[in-house]
Amino acid sequence: MQPINRMKTEFLSKSSNEAFARVVAASFVAQADPSIDVLADIRTAVSEAVTNAIVHGYDDTEGIVTMECLLYSDHVEIIIEDFGKGIKDIAQAKTPLFTTRPDLERSGMGFTVMETFMDSLEVESEPGKGTKIRMTKQLEYR
Amino acid sequence: MDVKFAKEGNTLIVLIEGEIDHHTASRARARIDSKFLMEPVKNMVMDLSRVTFMDSAGIGLILGRMNRVNSVGGKMTLRKPKPEISKILKMSKIESIVELDA
Repeated sequence: MQPINRMKTEFLSKSSNEAFARVVAASFVAQADPSIDVLADIRTAVSEAVTNAIVHGYDDTEGIVTMECLLYSDHVEIIIEDFGKGIKDIAQAKTPLFTTRPDLERSGMGFTVMETFMDSLEVESEPGKGTKIRMTKQLEYR
Repeated sequence: MDVKFAKEGNTLIVLIEGEIDHHTASRARARIDSKFLMEPVKNMVMDLSRVTFMDSAGIGLILGRMNRVNSVGGKMTLRKPKPEISKILKMSKIESIVELDA
């Protein structure tokens, strides 16, 4: 299936870009005129994925995060990728309340939020190479 | 994001305005903790009526403050969350451990 529209952006792993990324993703999806709830869910899931890339992928060092959005007639696919340290144990990382950074008061809910707010979530990761998150959301119309 | 403070008896009212994410939470955390230490207060009310967005960093911010408040025998209350953030509050089940004043 060909997407109706597509965009890709890249930005530095600075925490100020968390807001940038979720606003850009929601603005792009807004052209399909989905419900407010769908846009709110996408904003939240993107915020979690980008924060994970910044905090865990790069451990707050500087790196590149990419975000690609593919808009289809009935759903959107969002791919967020970093080229940082990767995840050794994806199952453990996805466990609710598990976090490697309690010092930052990370609640360990990032993947749980992405899974709850989106319709699908796939995580590909290789230690030393980076992590790619692929999420989809059905577009319910208002 | 902006954080404003008020005092009602021995309760610190923390009014958060704007969006809570990992970026804004770290600054808010430092400001709230130093205010809670400086003021002669025991309890905390976190007023969420002007929070327009919150991800799991907000959950971390609330739980972290709750632990501090509980450690001095105080009580933590969340006040008036908007519908925009009710989904993440429900999902985190935070309402089962923090009092909610709708």
